[in-house]
Amino acid sequence: MNNSIEIRRQEAKKHFNRIRELVSQRPSPFEGMTEEQVIEQLRKTRKELWEKKLVARS
Amino acid sequence: MLLVLDTNEYIFAFGLAKKQSCREVISLLEDKFPSHNIRISRLIVEEVRNNLSPEEFKEFILFINSLTKIDEDILVPFELAAKYEFQGFQPEDAFIAAYVEFVGADALVTENRHFLSREKELPFRVVTASEILAEL
Repeated sequence: MNNSIEIRRQEAKKHFNRIRELVSQRPSPFEGMTEEQVIEQLRKTRKELWEKKLVARS
Repeated sequence: MLLVLDTNEYIFAFGLAKKQSCREVISLLEDKFPSHNIRISRLIVEEVRNNLSPEEFKEFILFINSLTKIDEDILVPFELAAKYEFQGFQPEDAFIAAYVEFVGADALVTENRHFLSREKELPFRVVTASEILAEL
């Protein structure tokens, strides 16, 4: 197996696990929400960020 | 297989909200890299950033850079997004659809029913984490 590919896999795993570890140590902004509520919140964020991008470009 | 993971997949996979299938998709993509790979747009990166601390975001960028590169939103042709807006997609969703088409991804992986319900109108597949797990 190509060594650089294996290194990239291991790097990805390391950083993914580190994110999960860090996230587990603090309260989630989605605490108590259902899956559908989380998705709706993310949709709202997407809309807000997109509108800001449009304003910045105009 | 080339995939675009929607923001909600990262949020669930990181444990900000719990959904095991989303975590498993990312773990499997790590194991199967580069046979299966991902692309990510700047907009999705910014959405994820909105829910991470600076230290977590640094790890996210390192994670992404291990597997792929971030595509700037400006690269996506305006006409592609306009096509989806004309079909009735919200402008921000139209951009995501245009991005997935632009990079030639096989599928958008999302738990968002607004996308899932419109798969037939799109030139790529729209699947949940559970569905793509069965294929990878």
